[in-house]
Amino acid sequence: QRSTSSNKITDDELNALILRLQTLLPQLDQSRHGRVSAAKVLNEICSYIRRLQKEVDGLSGRLSQCLDSMDLTGFDAEIVRDLLQ
Amino acid sequence: MNRWRTKREHQIYSSKLFQALCRSRRTSSSTSAKELHQTADRVLAITAKGTSRWSRAILAAPLTAGTNMKKHKKAKVTVHTRLRKPVVNREKKKLPVVERKLKALRRLVPGCRKLSCNNLLEETSDYIAALEMQARAMTAITEFLGRGEAQAPTDRQGSIGNM
Repeated sequence: QRSTSSNKITDDELNALILRLQTLLPQLDQSRHGRVSAAKVLNEICSYIRRLQKEVDGLSGRLSQCLDSMDLTGFDAEIVRDLLQ
Repeated sequence: MNRWRTKREHQIYSSKLFQALCRSRRTSSSTSAKELHQTADRVLAITAKGTSRWSRAILAAPLTAGTNMKKHKKAKVTVHTRLRKPVVNREKKKLPVVERKLKALRRLVPGCRKLSCNNLLEETSDYIAALEMQARAMTAITEFLGRGEAQAPTDRQGSIGNM
């Protein structure tokens, strides 16, 4: 049976992927939730990525406002780099 | 896998990002959130040192200038109905849920639209770990700069080096 798309995957591959993706999600910790459906894991993964990207969006806004309100002339980037460590 | 989770990587990213932000501040008086996010992503990708598809995709993507640039959408060409081929499969089902979600995931991780299953797993977990670190680092920088501000609210001439 010829696969219709290059993205066609076998059931085994899919199950392996789902189980491993589940480990990335602390909220779906296997010891507490046992088996979770593939759709749910994928959903959670996608939501999580979107949430992280949105978080960085927000942080970018805050950081840009912060930088705009500061006088960075005379700023020694080297000093700050050391201070950040 | 410890990648992106060590303190060292956090420091490297934070300082690289901060230097990049200082540099861009020297050339323009203000930075939009979008530009800053783009810078943060590019520095993140650079920190990955070409070891992942998502990072290479970010660096290969064209820079979008400012906030006015709309994403260029391909113009939809409407074909005269008589010339259009008849719809062949009227019973075409919607893709099953799992397939749809996989497709969505492939769209979320940069550069992974046609990736195989196994590689998608590697890219996804690496990308997620990198994003988590990016969020931690940017939070730390913002708090750090906020502290500097709080200590010298009226004296804008004082540099943070005097802390």
